[in-house]
Amino acid sequence: MAKGFTLWFTGLSGSGKSTLAERLRDTLLERGMKVEVLDGDIVRQNLSKGLGFSKEDRDTNIRRIGFVCHLLTRNDVVVIGAAISPYKAIRDENRKLIGRFVEVYCKCDIETLKGRDPKGLYEKALRGEIKNFTGVSDPYEAPENPEVIVDTASEDADASVNKILLTLEQLGYIPADDGRGYSEEEEEGIKERLRDLGYI
Amino acid sequence: MRIFRRRKRKKLCLVGLDGVPIGLLRRLAERGVMPRLAEILQGGALRQMRAALPPVSSVSWSSFMTGANPAEHGIFGFTEVTPDSYQLRFPTFSDLAVPTFWDRLGESGRRCAIINQPATYPARAVPGVMISGFVALSLPKSVWPREHLAALERMGYRIDVDSRKGREDPDALLGELEATLATRLKAAAYFWEQENWDYFQVVVTGTDRLHHFLWRAVDQEDDPRHERAMSYYQAVDGLIAEMWDRLHEGASGDREGEGFVLLSDHGFTALEREVRLNAWLRENGYLEYTSEDPKSVADIGPGARAFALDPGRIYVNAKGRFSRGCVDPGEAAVLRDEIAGKLRDLSFEGAPMIAHVFTREEVYEGPKFDLAPDLVAISHNGFDLKGTTRGEDVFATTHFQGMHTWEDAFVWTMLPVPEDPEIGDLAAVMLNRLSE
Repeated sequence: MAKGFTLWFTGLSGSGKSTLAERLRDTLLERGMKVEVLDGDIVRQNLSKGLGFSKEDRDTNIRRIGFVCHLLTRNDVVVIGAAISPYKAIRDENRKLIGRFVEVYCKCDIETLKGRDPKGLYEKALRGEIKNFTGVSDPYEAPENPEVIVDTASEDADASVNKILLTLEQLGYIPADDGRGYSEEEEEGIKERLRDLGYI
Repeated sequence: MRIFRRRKRKKLCLVGLDGVPIGLLRRLAERGVMPRLAEILQGGALRQMRAALPPVSSVSWSSFMTGANPAEHGIFGFTEVTPDSYQLRFPTFSDLAVPTFWDRLGESGRRCAIINQPATYPARAVPGVMISGFVALSLPKSVWPREHLAALERMGYRIDVDSRKGREDPDALLGELEATLATRLKAAAYFWEQENWDYFQVVVTGTDRLHHFLWRAVDQEDDPRHERAMSYYQAVDGLIAEMWDRLHEGASGDREGEGFVLLSDHGFTALEREVRLNAWLRENGYLEYTSEDPKSVADIGPGARAFALDPGRIYVNAKGRFSRGCVDPGEAAVLRDEIAGKLRDLSFEGAPMIAHVFTREEVYEGPKFDLAPDLVAISHNGFDLKGTTRGEDVFATTHFQGMHTWEDAFVWTMLPVPEDPEIGDLAAVMLNRLSE
């Protein structure tokens, strides 16, 4: 049986974490894995209900999500965490706790995010109607060495999903798509190369 | 008072020249084609080095990367036969059964930058960055981590030349070799700056391609393409010089050259005749096919007692090992000795063809021993042993001008290496240096 791991999305609000988390969940389910998503917005309605957005509450929220990820990972579930998780120290704490941890940084510049702003949150934050809004009135500490950076301002969701899947394959967390080293098409390409050099 | 001064980490930069024999390297330095190489060779020690067996890049570089015997790392060639179907399969980087030395460096927090390492496709996670080399097909699957892909695409990084040009348009091949080398240098400059590396490696594989298709242009001054071939080597000299100069920028506390290594993975020589071992096995009654036009060893017939894979690997078609095996285990050793004896006696127009025939017990040791070929033949210079099933004639001449050799690869270093080195000895040398 495949071993579990945690795929942890971090990034500003609207940077694509939930969208990519859902896409990855569907793809990994199709590949026969047990997958669970812990989305920050949903977690705040139950597991972390009542917590606010002070630094202390944010840290508690991320630690709780990290703890559940840890439990699921050690039971061979693929867990996808998607939360702003603005502070590096707490993300690193979770990395240490979980071990099999892949950090995906959803990078997106603030101008693009303001342009997207489907819930009008950035507009409200900029007007001062929302306090402690990450990226506007609260800090966001970008990861220094994430396993994957997806630039959601410039690349489409398919490209980001492929990049993440390939990284998981390269890290040995999931098998290659076809379960073998090479696809038939690639095998033909390799035969051609070897033939050109006289090896077959 | 500071009692312990923190020691600066040692760095190491290696340039690999695929398929460059020591004799050619010396000539290129002596004749002024590679002046910076000539300066480097004034210090340190240039040693002749044996490649792994058989001497092809995938095996030799795998031994280099791991410090292991093929029966430990599990790579015996570019091809393997699937025991059930006899279909050819093509080992990937995932087939490498032991860690590379840069994996081990990563365990102590060292980082590497590896460019164009053959036999590492598809790329996988390394402690640092890497770009796979031959047989890499797609750049996205050759790059670790993927964050560097866009930069490599922007610089027009080329994985390899189009080797078909070697047959169809040698001048175009030379153009591709030059362009590809230029992008290796760009990638090297990029990673040099981007990465906080302890071990840096760039492999030039164009040398191997040049030798396969245009050995005469390299070797013979009156060949019409000699000047262009030398110009390619001048560009290789430029790459070596740039790596050397970058390494020696600033004070490291090392002696000059101490952190620099040059090596090749096998040698090369002029090809006079291709020797089709499967045609020879068939002629001698050891091999039969089910088809008039066998495409691969998958077409061998029920009475086939042995077959060959490139470049000189002989397999006894033994019961228990292969699904259509017809040789009893008790008879396999006798058959193997018989074939080895006949191979040793092979000659062409009075000239002996085979220099060595090794049994697998003589050269392989490790958990993957059962996958090893029963015999590995090494020819005298000029006779290139092939594993093709095509063609009924044992001897053939084709468009290929050069062939691999086993005993005349080289290594240049100031670090201590064994007196009579083989390529698998170097991983320990690298680890020792970087663990200081």
